[in-house]
Amino acid sequence: MTGTAIIEQNKMALAREMLEKLVDRRVLAALEVCVRCGICTESCHYYRSNPKIEHTPYYRAEQVRRVCRQFLDPIGCAFPGWFGAKATTDEALSKLAETAFASCTLCHRCTFECPFGVETAEIMRVMRSVATATGYGPEMLIEIAGAAIAKEENAELFRDIFLEQVKELEKEVQDRLGSSKAKIPVDRKGARFLYVPLAGAHTIIPQAIIFNMANESWTLSMFDTANYAVFLGDTAKAKRIAHRIIKEAETLKVQEMIITECGHGYTAMRWEVPKWFGHSLSFGIRNIIEVLDEYMRDGALHVNPSTDGEPVTYHDSCNLGRKGGLLEEPRRVIRAVVGDFREMTPNRLHSYCCGAGSGLVAVPEWTDIRLQAGELKADQIRQTGAKIVVTSCDNCRFQIGELSEHYGLNIEVTSISELTAGALA
Amino acid sequence: MSTFESVAAVMALTGAAIFAAGVIVILVAAQRRPYNAELAPIKGSPAKGVLWAFTLGLAPWAKESVRIHWIAYIRGVIFHLGIFLGAAYLIATPWLAQMPESLRLSLAALFGIGALLGLAGFWIRTSAPVMKVLSTPDDYFALALTTLFLASASISAYAIDYLSAFWAISGITMAYVPFGKLRHFIYFFYVRVFLGLTFGRRSVLE
Repeated sequence: MTGTAIIEQNKMALAREMLEKLVDRRVLAALEVCVRCGICTESCHYYRSNPKIEHTPYYRAEQVRRVCRQFLDPIGCAFPGWFGAKATTDEALSKLAETAFASCTLCHRCTFECPFGVETAEIMRVMRSVATATGYGPEMLIEIAGAAIAKEENAELFRDIFLEQVKELEKEVQDRLGSSKAKIPVDRKGARFLYVPLAGAHTIIPQAIIFNMANESWTLSMFDTANYAVFLGDTAKAKRIAHRIIKEAETLKVQEMIITECGHGYTAMRWEVPKWFGHSLSFGIRNIIEVLDEYMRDGALHVNPSTDGEPVTYHDSCNLGRKGGLLEEPRRVIRAVVGDFREMTPNRLHSYCCGAGSGLVAVPEWTDIRLQAGELKADQIRQTGAKIVVTSCDNCRFQIGELSEHYGLNIEVTSISELTAGALA
Repeated sequence: MSTFESVAAVMALTGAAIFAAGVIVILVAAQRRPYNAELAPIKGSPAKGVLWAFTLGLAPWAKESVRIHWIAYIRGVIFHLGIFLGAAYLIATPWLAQMPESLRLSLAALFGIGALLGLAGFWIRTSAPVMKVLSTPDDYFALALTTLFLASASISAYAIDYLSAFWAISGITMAYVPFGKLRHFIYFFYVRVFLGLTFGRRSVLE
């Protein structure tokens, strides 16, 4: 046997071993229950914008099912022709990786449109894990995840630069509030909130303004909430990335960790992290939108509509909404700060993905794919007549900005925090 | 009891035994798989989620997909109801002679419609390009068995002399359930429970 053949064989063995491990009860049920009835076909934004067989949810799931049948199902293995079982080959893995990464945003919309409730996204998530472990993960996502880990390993090197940047941002906050008392606290022990932003001032300044206006006890995290290992299905790396912030929260003894407007960052930290670590965390986790909603409810913030009567619509991030349960909170906040709010149709549980979810936004080779997949969202926005699109996820925000350019929507895209900060009386 | 009736009865009982054993094996194997329970603090209600999954979550009017494919959906629903009713009818067949004729004839009509909808399934599976590509011999065989099951149920309800044929076909159908596509009905309950637990807990379904 040649060296290449041995490597090949090891790779396939690893793929089988991973599938064996990762196909839990939930995924097994999803794999087994689909009868390929075709009713979910149009539920996928990929299919709607480019109707081809590979873009149907059941085609995607079926490809994984056939590989699993070969070794998870003794009957399928004994009669592969009868049950359509497929051998795990290099070619099959490569194709599956492409399907899982580039033609499914794990948005879960098809689950709620399927008469059975097949969780194709969960099947694709498992497939992403297998693809990453066997060397088919997209290079760009691997690099971004690696950079996050490197930041933790070299935290002291980054600290000085970080503190310098925070000082500059603090000045900006002070200018906007007209008060030198406004602060962006860092490393503040015992604070009520540890606020975890994303890379970029737009996820720090508006929130700092809001926290200062609400006289909040808070401290800014040194790390950002993005966790690209989640997109790779690489739980070991995802745990390391999440652990940086968990350690920070535990060291500072904060009551709650507040995640910025980041779909996957919030869902991972709020819902997945306890599963990865096998226990719940010693502090609460909420999204900044929940805090804004609380401030509005308690009268901690006084706002005036800030959009000068411009029509505003809201795009539900799949992670925050359909997968995270934040469906009404953003709407309550937006209604409080704008005069003309219009819903897209469909919305909430049945909202369409913007086309850039689950890492697609980060891979330059997939730009055309995601812009095409976002066509439906562009149409939805156009139909509302809105001039401002609010979204609660930074990846959605970037994508919708690009959709605006690509499809000539001529809209402004903003976040709930920015909208709120702009409306503070 | 004639020889054919005896053979058919044995086939039905054997099929039922294989079915029962197969379901147990499937359930045990599924339970042996790991279960990654949600450990994050609850935001919504898992119980309400499960309730939703088996009630409103199945409501066809709430699904855009069903509004698009309403014919296929209605076909599927009636076909499956026919099968479940056929299973109940199978249990009742030893007392078929005592069944009121009007009820027997009504059942015969219902099973007949189910069988026709089973045949329509072949047409759907072969006329839609995506489904044709994805269909395996198992898909066609499972559809053929269930269609035959309904057709024989219909005939036996109409003419009691054909009951043995229904028993024989039922035996083969039941024996095949654990091995092929027909076992999906077992997982249906799993999928709905997981859906309700996960998304109910996350307060997505309220």
